[in-house]
Amino acid sequence: MIIPRGPLSTTGLVIIVGLVVMVLFAQQYAGSVFILAFTYAIVTAGMAVQIGFSQQIAFSQSVFMGLGAYGVALLNTHLAISSLLAAPIVMVASGLVALLLGSVVTRVSGLALAVATIMLPLIAVGYVSSAGYLGGSVGMPLASSLWSAATPGATVLGNGLITVAVLGAVVFVSARILHSDIGLELYVLGVDERTAAAMGVSTARRKLELFVLGSMFAALGGAVYAGTQLFVPATLVSPTAELSLLMMLFVGGRRSILGAVAGALAIQYVSGASSWVSVNILVVEGVLITVVLLVDPEGLAGIAASLTARLRRQAPAAGVPGAGDPAAGHSATGHPASGFGRSWAARAGGAASPGTPLVECVGIGKDYGGLRVLDAVGLALPARGLFGLCGPNGAGKSTLLGVIGGSVSPSAGRVLLDGAEVTRLPPPQRFHLGVSRTFQAVHLIGGRTVLDNVAVSCLRSHRSGLAAGIARSRLAEARDLAMAALEYLGMGRLSGQEVSGLTLENQRMVEFARAVAARPRLLLLDEPSSGLSEPQREHLKDVLRTVGGMTCVLLVEHDLGLVAQISEKIYVLASGRLVFEGGPEEFRNSAVVNSLLVGI
Amino acid sequence: MLKFGNLLVAGLVTGSIYAVFAVCVAVWYRVSNILNLAVGDFAMAGALGVDNLTRVRQWPLAAAIAATLAVVAGFAYAYDQVVLRLAQDGRHRHEGIVITFFFTFALSFFIDGVAKILFGTDVHAAPALWNGSSLNIASGLHVERAGILVLACAVLSGAMFALYIRYTLSGKAMEACGENYLGARIVGIDTRRYRRIIFVVTAILAAVFGIVESPITGFTYISGATISVTGFIAAAYGGFRNPGRALLAGLVIGMAEALLGGYVSAQYADTVLYAILAALVLARPRALGFESAVGA
Repeated sequence: MIIPRGPLSTTGLVIIVGLVVMVLFAQQYAGSVFILAFTYAIVTAGMAVQIGFSQQIAFSQSVFMGLGAYGVALLNTHLAISSLLAAPIVMVASGLVALLLGSVVTRVSGLALAVATIMLPLIAVGYVSSAGYLGGSVGMPLASSLWSAATPGATVLGNGLITVAVLGAVVFVSARILHSDIGLELYVLGVDERTAAAMGVSTARRKLELFVLGSMFAALGGAVYAGTQLFVPATLVSPTAELSLLMMLFVGGRRSILGAVAGALAIQYVSGASSWVSVNILVVEGVLITVVLLVDPEGLAGIAASLTARLRRQAPAAGVPGAGDPAAGHSATGHPASGFGRSWAARAGGAASPGTPLVECVGIGKDYGGLRVLDAVGLALPARGLFGLCGPNGAGKSTLLGVIGGSVSPSAGRVLLDGAEVTRLPPPQRFHLGVSRTFQAVHLIGGRTVLDNVAVSCLRSHRSGLAAGIARSRLAEARDLAMAALEYLGMGRLSGQEVSGLTLENQRMVEFARAVAARPRLLLLDEPSSGLSEPQREHLKDVLRTVGGMTCVLLVEHDLGLVAQISEKIYVLASGRLVFEGGPEEFRNSAVVNSLLVGI
Repeated sequence: MLKFGNLLVAGLVTGSIYAVFAVCVAVWYRVSNILNLAVGDFAMAGALGVDNLTRVRQWPLAAAIAATLAVVAGFAYAYDQVVLRLAQDGRHRHEGIVITFFFTFALSFFIDGVAKILFGTDVHAAPALWNGSSLNIASGLHVERAGILVLACAVLSGAMFALYIRYTLSGKAMEACGENYLGARIVGIDTRRYRRIIFVVTAILAAVFGIVESPITGFTYISGATISVTGFIAAAYGGFRNPGRALLAGLVIGMAEALLGGYVSAQYADTVLYAILAALVLARPRALGFESAVGA
């Protein structure tokens, strides 16, 4: 059994199965069951992108499904527009509504997004059930279906084929997005929003686009529902309907388009095919979901994937590419003469005008409530060199790094990059200006390979819209850039491995590679050596020396020996104030430093 | 003024319904990091179970209550032992709020489905525990007897959990389970036991509350979902982890709903209320205690 992976084969499979089912069953009762199932699949395919893959939990699908269905019903009965023509009109209109609503709602994420959007079906239920022109708590009939033919059998077949065609289009668009460079962005956004922002993903924009996309597909599903069922029941919009949609998605597999389609088909089919099941649908769904999620959190798609993986393993092993000795991967570090090194050096050195520091902090202060974490901190760094930032725990080092990187907005003071003010610029924009960072705790994206983790920072799609992902994918390009960076750091052999199986050192190095792959002009490193052994630290030191010759590195570090050996200048923070700045020699002999950090 | 007073009293009663479920959601979330969306269904099961035993099978009220609570507790225990144990302690521990959310969705569906088979689809209520006409607090200011019980139940359960967490060692241990699962296990706290105990206790509490409350509103087999959602919302505005704040949020939401219904529009009271609540989340997500950061 082979699970199709590419967008074309996925779409092909869905369309072929749909056509076969329609042609075989259109003249029977099962035909109408399948039409309804495919209709729901249109909605869940969009949900797989928005909710499953990108983990933006919005409880608004049933509302937009209702918007689509009622919209078509209204146009059909009052303006006598055919359902087939009304569907695209309603879809565009829903997109505009989603854009308006989404620009407010997607300002928050996670639980807040879930709570804010769960209000939408609750509000809609109250409105729909008391709106007379929509048929109140009963619902609204339509005059004509999507396809009207001479015989009832031909009408059902026509409706079925249109539904399959729409589903095919939705699946194709969704699969194209997930397989493009933007799909990688969305994956990172779903796993860790902060990392995504630091690596240049315009998180706010992506979340809005996802909301609009999911809503438009839901509206399209609603339009098809109205056009094939010829009746819009008021129960289409409700928290319960919302839950049913989510159930289909999660049973099928939240991160898989095919899974989402399969989930909708499975649940709709069993509830339509057997009268016992349809009476006891709640019990069946409850048990089904519990069992499927217990076996695999990725649903039916996950189960199918692990089954195929097991079958492959029994077949003669092809071997995992890149699974060589990880330690050997580091032997050759840094070829400044390589293409990557040259292009980096050119980028890092090129833009800086002489005399202006690359980055400058002026009078930075940061308060959390009454707690002053940073107080009038000022520093200026040139275009090249390694700079250390030391201080006891809680001195404000990571906060200062956050202020420079954009994830923390200071209460006072200014941050300048190339002399231009960037104090209020969010992390993605700073990343595009050449600021790149690593985190104190490793923030890699589990479930993806080393190559993909590094490719995140090389994506050209950062500035383009979601629609661009449908048109063409530049993922291969980003992977090439990432590979060049990995090879430059001598880590090429790791590229095919999944990140959560790596040792801590390799994880840190992958995060380092991710920050470096963007060829940054300013590299912010938060305790890169913590958790590393002595030989690993020696290796890190070599890497840092090479990198420091190309670009500006600000290094937060507890290993004072390491800092003193490689930094050309060292800053010491204590209780939010800068208490020392100077070269390594002064650093070693400074009374302030010794009393603060060494305890003499 | 009298209208205001009556609305406030009515709102306090509705609010305490929300409050109790909010407390149940918040307490268990604090232990297990799972949002339980099946609390309302336990309440429904309690109310309809007692109704069924007394009305159809002619059991005495006390025996019916005892039997129903025993069944609810037994089911909650079994569910923890089988499903939650596999989900949280099994081969791949389910991370993240999203997946665990769905286990309780599924549980809710399951309980509703079973209730439909056992109790049918009509509206029923457990017999009133405190009979009599509504009480006259002051001239013209009425409160139903069941309403007083409901309010007492809410305040008692909220206060009980708040005091338990604040002042007892086992309360602190319970808190630790949710804060840091692994850390709590390392220092010798049996996190699974706490998860199980609190799950069973909140299930029983919800069932008791359903029995007390059902004479006011009446339940059908699908009433549970609505109750769970309101409890979830109130818990959300209480910051999810804090039973005291969840209690307060429930009461405030109930009173706001009653006042909106009385002064703005009876028909659109809920709609307006939900719109206000949504606006609150969007305007002040951090102040309300939503852990996630605000987007850039």
